[in-house]
Parts: sequence; structure tokens; C-alpha cells
Amino acid sequence: MPHGDKAIGVKAEDAQEFPKDLTIPKLFHQQAKRYGKDRVAMREKEFGIWRPITWQDYLDNVKYLALGLIKLGLQEGDKVAMIGDNRPEGLMAEMAALCARGVGVWLFQDCLMDEVRYIIDHSDAKFVFGEGQEEVDKTLSIIKDCPKLKKIIWDDPKGLRQYHQECLISLRDVQDLGRELEKEKPHLFEELINKGHGEEIALLFYTSGTTALPKGALLSHHNMLSMGKHLMEVDPCQDSDDYVSYLPFAWIGEQMMSISCGLQMGYTLNFPEAPETAQANIREIGPHVMFAPPRMYEQMTRTVQVKYLDATWLKRTFYQFATWVGYRVADMKFAKKPVPFYWQALHGLVYATVQKKLKDNLGMSRVRNAYTGGAAMGPDHFRFFHSLGVNLKQIYGQTEVAGISVVHRRGDIKFDTVGTPIPGTEVRINQDGEILTRSPSVFQGYYKNPEATAKTLIDGWLYSGDKGFIDDDGHLVVFDRTKDVFTLKDGRPFAPQYLETRLKFSPYIKDGWVIGDKRDYLSAVMCIDYAVVSNWADQRKLNYTSYQELSQMPEVYDLVEKQIRQANKDLPDLAKVRKFTNLYKEFDADDDELTRTRKLRRAFVEKRYKEIVDALYTQNDSVHIDTLIKYEDGRQAHIVTDMRIVSIAN
Amino acid sequence: MSTTFLPCGEYHQSYHEDHAWWQTKFIKGKMILLMLVLFGGIPYMADSYWISVCNQVGYTVLGALGVQLLIGFCGQVTLGHAAFLAVGAYTSTLLILEFPWPKFFLDLGLAYPISILAAAVVAGVWSVLFGLPSAKVKGFYLILTTMAAQFVTVDFVITQYISQIGGRGQAFSLPPGTIKIGPWVIDSDLKIYYMMLVLVILLVAAVVNLLRSRVGRAWVAIRDNDISAEVMGINVVQYKLFAFFVAGFIGGVAGAFWISNLAAISPEHFPWFWSLWLVGVILIGGVGSIHGTIFGSIFMVVVMELLQMAVIPLASSYPKLLMDFLFIKEAAFGLAICAFMVFEPNGLAYRWWQAKNYFNLWPFSY
Repeated sequence: MPHGDKAIGVKAEDAQEFPKDLTIPKLFHQQAKRYGKDRVAMREKEFGIWRPITWQDYLDNVKYLALGLIKLGLQEGDKVAMIGDNRPEGLMAEMAALCARGVGVWLFQDCLMDEVRYIIDHSDAKFVFGEGQEEVDKTLSIIKDCPKLKKIIWDDPKGLRQYHQECLISLRDVQDLGRELEKEKPHLFEELINKGHGEEIALLFYTSGTTALPKGALLSHHNMLSMGKHLMEVDPCQDSDDYVSYLPFAWIGEQMMSISCGLQMGYTLNFPEAPETAQANIREIGPHVMFAPPRMYEQMTRTVQVKYLDATWLKRTFYQFATWVGYRVADMKFAKKPVPFYWQALHGLVYATVQKKLKDNLGMSRVRNAYTGGAAMGPDHFRFFHSLGVNLKQIYGQTEVAGISVVHRRGDIKFDTVGTPIPGTEVRINQDGEILTRSPSVFQGYYKNPEATAKTLIDGWLYSGDKGFIDDDGHLVVFDRTKDVFTLKDGRPFAPQYLETRLKFSPYIKDGWVIGDKRDYLSAVMCIDYAVVSNWADQRKLNYTSYQELSQMPEVYDLVEKQIRQANKDLPDLAKVRKFTNLYKEFDADDDELTRTRKLRRAFVEKRYKEIVDALYTQNDSVHIDTLIKYEDGRQAHIVTDMRIVSIAN
Repeated sequence: MSTTFLPCGEYHQSYHEDHAWWQTKFIKGKMILLMLVLFGGIPYMADSYWISVCNQVGYTVLGALGVQLLIGFCGQVTLGHAAFLAVGAYTSTLLILEFPWPKFFLDLGLAYPISILAAAVVAGVWSVLFGLPSAKVKGFYLILTTMAAQFVTVDFVITQYISQIGGRGQAFSLPPGTIKIGPWVIDSDLKIYYMMLVLVILLVAAVVNLLRSRVGRAWVAIRDNDISAEVMGINVVQYKLFAFFVAGFIGGVAGAFWISNLAAISPEHFPWFWSLWLVGVILIGGVGSIHGTIFGSIFMVVVMELLQMAVIPLASSYPKLLMDFLFIKEAAFGLAICAFMVFEPNGLAYRWWQAKNYFNLWPFSY
């Protein structure tokens, strides 16, 4: 270990032994045999009911699909790409690819054509599983650029009747091929599974990357499974638990919950009816465990705040009192102080009258552990959920450790930290303040990119590129991406994310972008939440026609200023936002302003909105914009507007 | 999809569960409590007067249930439902009094139960007869043809011919002891009350079950738009006539039940006003709601009783009030309908739904 730095965690050798030859298919086979027809592996909401799929159904589907892939010519180590919503078929396709000794590659469903082309071509994918017409169209349009691609497999026939291309085949047909193959070689499926070894590559995962083209991280079976096992040692789940899978499978967090943990614990995965109904469907299921990036929790908080504003007087009063009590009790728990009995009694009272129903409303009645990770979460949001009695925990991880490496422990939650490493994981900080991780889950390298691998993976330590430190309690504090940390005028470092998450606690604000590295003061570019602010404007009878017009109204500026003043409170003078402007559009992943997991790509927006940034540091009170914006379907629109700039005095 | 408000963590894996009656533990508890109150609480607490008021409510529910089915679920407006009650009552009475029952039937107390069933079927068939015009006419014109049912049945057939059977003149009197179910002679308000409860529960359950089946969905489709219903492959005439049959059937049961409460029956027990009254009950309770039928019945009966209670102390100083009570009652009925049409056109059932929602959505408003 290099000298002079601090480390936390338990070495892999000291952690519980974990068989190296266990693979995901082997585990899947064991579990399916064990639970068989009696237990539900997955549920999908279809036509109003939660259609159950037993482990036996799951096994049969995967078996024939895997054999079908073999029949179609899948060789060991071939890549199989998948694109689509969260549906049982998606997971079956992934499992089938792994059982057939292939490697799974997931794409985000809203990927633009260029990204699809890049990933399919770069990964050398031989098969693509597309859900329906949209995915088939996307893949067909790039197939000529990807010579290695052999077949496109679809399963939703809607709109595909007139598609007669040679390369298309339906999922049912693939399974029929599998059935034929089984007649010839009845034990092939089991043989294939038994051949596997934990060190082999299971998944090729493309990281969203806030800076450059996506990089493909290679993860072995052992990486995935050891990660899941270690997390479950911290917070065990039961096989009777429910989990709702609605975040993209192309996000490592979802893989971690659905495959790494789900398969080991045998809990039931529930798939919503449609992405738009996910929130309502979560409420129906009432999952026992949740893992979502902060934006999901931010959205929930926003919904609660907006509904609160629209509630009747009596309900508002009850809510206010309950929140007040909830915050007081949560703060005592955060400070690890004993909660006096009268506070406990009061808390019990408000729990019974308000918070129980509120949790029911959010679908969190049964949540044992809720995790958030992937980006920073503001302390306000954190306190909000704890005041409700939801055990929300921060976690820290990345694709390169197959999910997560650091998590809060029950009763030891500090909202400015991400907790302590899971078993078998060591974390240390090097001289540059960079966070390094070593564990059995650290990935095998980037696909076809040895330079990047050499930079990231040194002596088994993963160099994360995140700045952080270890505090006195042995918790890891993640400051920000190294390149995103600001230097204030007085030379102190400052994480803009901290301020941005505070701004986002206001229901009116969708996104905030704080600027001010090595400048005299901080300024911000704000994106209002269209739904909430338009509702607010309607109540005040303000006229507007579009987001662009609404965002530039003086009343809206006043509203946003009020929210910024709130966020500025209790901050040192230099860390306060002094000037802001409302952007004429929301930040969007399709414009490359956000990553697919909705992280702000700071370097990019700084370049793109250079004139706004410059104007914020002059005496001007407006900035003229003349630009093109790009829609998801490729159309472009020309925008000419003037954006006001407002200063905030003390 | 299920319309029940389900708490977080309760979900359905099959349509069977999705259409179940009592889907949550809370609702089950509530219903058990209601049954305890109905079967134990009310008989224990109430005196004979209030029991008879309850019986009045039950009779109204049974009568209004058929009207609700026709108007609220099948969209066939009817203003002659009292006719089918009358057919039921007379069929049952005649069977008891005139039918040559074998001795052991009478000893076993089967005459009345069998007559109820027969009354229901006869009233159902009679109702289908007057439902036939619904194949051709709708809305306002159908109101007139159903009114014809009233006048033809009660004022003509029953008064002129049926009442003459046995040469008794206007009224059929039922000797004590003739209304007998098995070993129990129905001779007190409490016994009528229990019989009423059983009948109301059975019939409400039957109607609710019909409504969640193919038949019920067809009725609602016809109510909402008969042309699109036909386009979807529903035999509109057949389902309309079936609605008339079921409504008449329930009316027949109601009429046959009500003779247990009467010492003698005559055509005056089934005036046209009673048909109108039953429509008023579902308007106030809420059209298209089983809850509404029950709430409307309770409201109308109890309000009228309260009105009566208010009038009696005043009668000593204003004797005219008592004499004109019938007119006061009718005026109050008219006023209540007007007030509901203006202030709560969706009826009491909607208020009930709102009250439940207020707590279901707590601490928010939507």
C-alpha cells in the first residue's frame, strides 16, 4: 500500500469464502430447480393484473431460448445485445445468452442511432434482442454498418407483420429451434451450464461516461455474484420479498438488483405495465427493497410537495405538523442521540395519522431498505425520507465494480457520506485524493481499450476518478468527480453538486447548473419544472404558450429567486449563488447535456452555453440566444430568444 | 380493473382476485362489523317501532333495486314498477289462500316460500311483457309504455278481475298463521325484519354478481350507448328483456315479502305514486350505484319518519297539519328531489365515495 493514506474495509481474503467456479447460469439453474412451480420468479403487469411467471416457466423459457441461440450459431464468448423495456422477456434473453455461454450487452432503450451503432459495432454483437418495432427499426437501420450482426430477435409482434427481412426472427421461433435441438441433444443445456467458470466474462457493460465515448467494461460472473452476495450480507433480503424492476437494465444498479442479488436471494421481480405507469405500479406492489438514482427520489419528493400545496387546509395542517415532528426525530437519530419518550410518543401519533398514509401513497409501506446511488443526493431529500421513517441509504459504486462497493449501515447513517465498504472490499484514498477500490468485484478491463484499462486498473486497485476522503467515523465521503470540483475565490474546494442538489429540493426546479470555478462569485443556470411551474402560473392566471416563454416571465424569475435564496441559506458567502438565469429549455440526454442516467455533463454544457456563462460574469442583464435544438426523432428547431440575468443581493 | 382502493402492497395476480368482493382485510372487517350490527345490534337496540321503520327501508330497497337495475344499469327508464310489486304480492297471496296445497306442505310451512318464488317468476314474466316496447322505443316514450304497465296491471287487471277472485270484494285478508316459513310463523316485526335482511342480502348479492358478469357489462354497455353495444355483438333486445325480467323478478319478491307485513292487501297498496317514489329513491341515492339504492331508501324512509315525528307535536295546535300530512309528505318528496338535482345530482352514493376518498387520499387531495 502506498504510504501516507488512509484505508477502510475488509480484504477479500478475510471475507467469507465464495466459490470461484459459480456462474450466473449455474446459480439460476439451482434456484429454478429449488423453487420450481411453487414460487413466482417474476410478475408482469398486463391488462390490469400481475401475471405471475414461476421459476419453472422462467427456466423453460430460458432453456429453449438458449438452445435456439446455439442452433442459430452462437459460439462461446459471442456477444448478444439487448435493447428494450424492462420485461420478463428481456431478462430471459439475457439469461439465455449467459446460459449459452455468450456475453450480454445491454443498451439503453432511448439510445440514439449513433450510440446504438457504436455499441453494437464496438461490442461485435452477433445477435440483438429488440423488444418490438421501434427497436427492430433502430437495429435494421444500422445493420449495414455492423457486419458481425447476424440476427435480430423480436418478441412483440405489433407492427411487424410487413417485415420480411432475412435477419429477423421472432423469440418464439428461436425457442422452437431450441426445442428441436433439445430432441437431438437432450442434455446440451445442462452441459453448457456446467462448462462455465466464474472467471469468465458474463457481461459487457457500456458506461455512460460524462466525458467521452462509452467504454465497455468487462464483468465476470464472479464479479457480479460476489458483489451481490456482499451487499446481501449487509442487508439480507428474503425469497418472499418483492422488488420492482423499472430502471433500465443497461444501468448496472438494475443488473445488481435483478441478477446479482435477485438470483441469490430468490425474491420476486415485478415489471410495470409501461414506463409511464412505473410509479403507480410500485405503489401497488409495495416493494421491500428499492434501488434508484437520486432523481427518482427527487421526483417523489417533488410529487409530495406539489400535492401538499394543492391539499385542503386541514390536510396541510396535519402534514405540516407531522413533517415537523418527523424532521426533529430524524435529526435526533442522525445525531445518534436517544429519542426522548415524549418525542417517540408524538412520532407514533403522527406516524399513525399522516406518515403511514404518506408512505402508502409513495409505495413505501413495506420498504426495508431503500438505496440511492449513481449521483449525489441532497441532504434535504435525505432528511425528508428519514423523517417519514423510510430507511434510505446512500451507496457508492460504479459499473467497474459490478455495482456498489460502499453503503450505509442501519443506524449509522450520515447524509454527507456514502457509508462504509461492503465485506470483501477495501477502499483507500491516494495522495491526489482519488478514491481507489479493491475487491473481488473489480472488473476485468475495458473491451478493446487497453490504454484506458491500464489507467483505471493498477495492481488490482480500481482508480475511480472520484475525489473523496475518509472521515473520522470511517465513512467514505465522495466529494465529486475530480474534474468537477471547484476552487472558490479564497482557494477552498467546493462541490457544485452539493448546491445543485439543494436547489433541486424545491419542487419548482428541475435542474440547476452551478458555475464559478476560479471566478469571483457563483452563478447558476436554472431549469424550471414545467409541470409544477405551469400549474403555479395557471393558478395566478399568467399567460404563456411554451416552456421557453414561461421560463422567461418576470414572475417565474421571482419564484426561482426565492428558491435560490432558500438554498443559499446557511452557506458561506462565497458559496452562495449570486446571479442566475432561467434556461429556455430543460437539460436533455438527447442533446448530450445529460448522461443517460441524468448526470450533468459539465464540460459539454460549458462549451455549449459559453455565451450564457460569459454573460453571467458581465454587467449585462440579458443574453441573446440563437441556437438549434435537436429532438429525439432527429428533427431540429431554431430558437431565438433573450434570457434575463438576475442578480441576488444579500 | 378493480375499482376498490387498495393499500400499497395489495395486488392481483388473476382476474378472479381482481373482481373479488371484499379485497382487503379492512373491507372484510368492515363488512363483518356491518353484519353484526344488522343481525345483532339493531334487533337488540331498536324497539318495535324502529324495527318496523327498518322493514319499511328493506321493502324500499327491494323495490328500488329493480328500478336501479333498469334505470341505473340498463338505461331503461321505468315509471310503473309498483305494478310488478303488485303482481308479486297478489300471486303470493292467491297461492297461499286459493291453491289446494297438500296438507304436509302446509305443515312444513312451504307454501309461503314456494309462493314467493312463484310470485317472482310471474312478476318477471309480466315485466318482460311490458318490456317488449323497449325493443322499439327509448327514453321518454318508454316512460309512457312503462306507465301503461302500472295502469293496465293495477288499475285494470287487479282491481277489476283479480280482486274479485273468491268474491271477497276489494281486499284479500291474510288470516294469522298463514305466513309461515318452515316452522316459523312470521307474526312479529322482528321476524319480518330477519326475513327482510336475508332477502335484501340475497338479492343485492345476486344483482352485484350479475353486474360483474358478462350480463352486467352488457347492460352497462347498452346504457352507455346502445348502438355501440350492438356493434360489439351484444344482442340488445335480449339483454334489455332480461333486465326487465330480473327487475320484475326482484319486484315480485319484494311484493311477496311485503304481504307478511300486511294483514290485508288491496290495489291501494301499489299506487302509481309508489312507482314514482322508487325512482325518487334512486335519484337521491345515486343512479347507477347499489350503494345508492340502499342510501336512498334509508334517506327517504327515515326523513319521512322524522317529518312525521315533527308534525305530531304540532298537531295539537295546528290540526290541519295532521290531516294534510299526505300532501306535506309529497311536497317534501318533491322538494328533496329538486334539492338533490340541484345540489348533488350524483346522489348520496357520490357523497359516500367522496367521503371515502377523503381518507383514502389522506394527507393529499388527489
